[in-house]
Amino acid sequence: MNRVRTELRSRSPIWWVAAFAGVAIFALDLVGHLTQPNIQDTGVWIFLDTKLAALIAAGLWIWGWRVRLIGLLLFGWAIAVLAGDLMNVYPDSRSVATFGLLVYWTGANIFFLHMAFAYPTGRLGRHWPTRLLLIGFVYVGSVITVIPWLLFQDGRGCADCRPRATSYFFVGHSVSWLDDWNLFWVYWSWVALAPVFVWLIWRRFRMTSKGGRRTVWPFLTAFSLAFADLVIWSIDGGFGSGGSLDPYLTYGDISTAWLVVLGAVSGVLVTRRARGVVGNLVVELGRAAPGGVRDALARAIGDPTLELALWVPQKHGWVDEEGNEVELPTGDDRTVTLVGEKLAAIIHDPVLLDQPSLLEAAGSAARFALENERLQVELRAQLAELRESRARIVWAGDEERRRLERDLHDGAQQRLLGLGMALQLLEPHLDKDAGPLLEETETELQQALAELRELARGIHPAVLTDQGLAAALKTLAQRSPVPVELYACSGRLPAPVETAAYFVVSEALTNIVKYARAEHAWVNVTRNNGLVRIDVRDDGIGGANPTAGSGLSGLADRIGALDGQLEIESPAGAGTHVAAEIPCAR
Amino acid sequence: MVVGVTVLIVDDHPTFRRFARRLLEQAGFAVVGEADDCASGIAAARALHPEAVLLDILLPDGSGLDVAATLAERYQATAVVLTSSRSADDLGVALHEAPARGFIPKERFSSEAFAALVGEA
Repeated sequence: MNRVRTELRSRSPIWWVAAFAGVAIFALDLVGHLTQPNIQDTGVWIFLDTKLAALIAAGLWIWGWRVRLIGLLLFGWAIAVLAGDLMNVYPDSRSVATFGLLVYWTGANIFFLHMAFAYPTGRLGRHWPTRLLLIGFVYVGSVITVIPWLLFQDGRGCADCRPRATSYFFVGHSVSWLDDWNLFWVYWSWVALAPVFVWLIWRRFRMTSKGGRRTVWPFLTAFSLAFADLVIWSIDGGFGSGGSLDPYLTYGDISTAWLVVLGAVSGVLVTRRARGVVGNLVVELGRAAPGGVRDALARAIGDPTLELALWVPQKHGWVDEEGNEVELPTGDDRTVTLVGEKLAAIIHDPVLLDQPSLLEAAGSAARFALENERLQVELRAQLAELRESRARIVWAGDEERRRLERDLHDGAQQRLLGLGMALQLLEPHLDKDAGPLLEETETELQQALAELRELARGIHPAVLTDQGLAAALKTLAQRSPVPVELYACSGRLPAPVETAAYFVVSEALTNIVKYARAEHAWVNVTRNNGLVRIDVRDDGIGGANPTAGSGLSGLADRIGALDGQLEIESPAGAGTHVAAEIPCAR
Repeated sequence: MVVGVTVLIVDDHPTFRRFARRLLEQAGFAVVGEADDCASGIAAARALHPEAVLLDILLPDGSGLDVAATLAERYQATAVVLTSSRSADDLGVALHEAPARGFIPKERFSSEAFAALVGEA
């Protein structure tokens, strides 16, 4: 079947031949009716021929367009019914009898029922009772039915017989059991198997998901009505009034055939719209912002609950577009369709499985976008990792500095202090001559202590740890040779933020003292909307080059590690403005 | 005169306590006890009722400034002298507001400086 589908690419030569043949046979039928108006009631044949024209046109349209098998079956059904009508119009032609018996008695049932079960995808599905019934009864039964008709049917001399002529396969005599045979296959079997067909069609509808039902219900309803008409005809013809209902059934047959045409076309149109959406998807993906692939896919496939999972080889797992790890669902309520070899997974409503080609097409269309999306997710993950590790490194460095400061304070400084006190204790026991030396030693000791304290303060200001940023900045401002006007919000901040803010102010003030030739400096530290803002301004000469000294660029790194930003404005002659913003959740 | 004035030393560094005790005793103070953190400092003050306390600011279990506040509330007569190995600059404003006789940086510590602050009362 796949081979047939592949060969019957839209508007293939076969399609053209079929279209030509269909039109030709229809024309033959039409000419027959027009030239012999007394053969059939005018109203009836006009209705019949319009129905046939509609069936042929719809069949060719669907076939030539996409759902090839369904189109082919619809077209085949139309030709089979047309072949039956030809026997009404040309009852005495042996060619028509051969063609009509062969095509009508086989094709009408085979095409009609196959179409019903294969709609709308053209696939029969794996349900074995359906296959058994279709192949075992419809196919084999139809072929068995037609053989005796071809061999033994002889309507010569019988005015109402259709056909009156014998087929080319006629063996020369008729048989008495032909009517019983006919009764059995054409009437009995239909009546007996009708419930089974009804059940199978109902089952098929039940198994179809909500989305799929929207596509198939018009066709299946029309089919059911047409089938009911067929069954009533069988009951009436086989056991009832012997064809008294024929006029009504003929109109029923014609109207239900129209419904079948409309149902088939509407279903195909729904599918066509879906395919159009895939085309739109490609356009939309081109415009989609990073992270917009999911939305575009959800729109294209028509499932707002659609989720996207991307495979990240480094993590050896699935993540969503934000980079959070996700598990693929295994339950019945969600279905996973994979795109590519472990590239992405579309997690969607199982309803959509009725349109596997749509999912496939959408997946392929989105492939490059998905590839791109995955790279972005990977990049984001790496970036987040990098940022975290940078913050950790800065934090570890700060911890180390705190420890070092503490060690200096508890160790060397205490020893030197002890030494100073020991000298004081020693003083009364020494000669007067030792006085100057003792004084010199004490001065030296004071110097060493001062230098040590300066060193410790540079490594990490103890007051920052003990009393917080505001207190630390106050001591910084007090020590500055350039007068500083300070405003700093009170309250403790996270240690890394306090440390970074302190060093920004410290470095900026150092630069002001060294280079700015300023008379005043202003320091402002405010906290607003989870953001700590630090401004240091001076009224000096400006023209500072932020890239020149490693001090400020080191600070930019430190602040960057906290996701913050450092900006330096220093127009010549207009002072320098150092501004930093650091996010601060607490 | 400082002779016989009872002193409690609260500091977590044994070296400092040892030398401070010697210096103060040499000057005539009577060092009646030593403590190495806030809790034991307050306990010792309650037990010994010293006339003066030499109190380090940075203690392992808290700030000497809090100890000073507690002592000032309970024993108004006790003269508290704060000390630290850090400078007054590094200690911030809280130092100036502390209820104490005064502050001596450790590198400037001497019995004379201590006596001067204690004797101020």
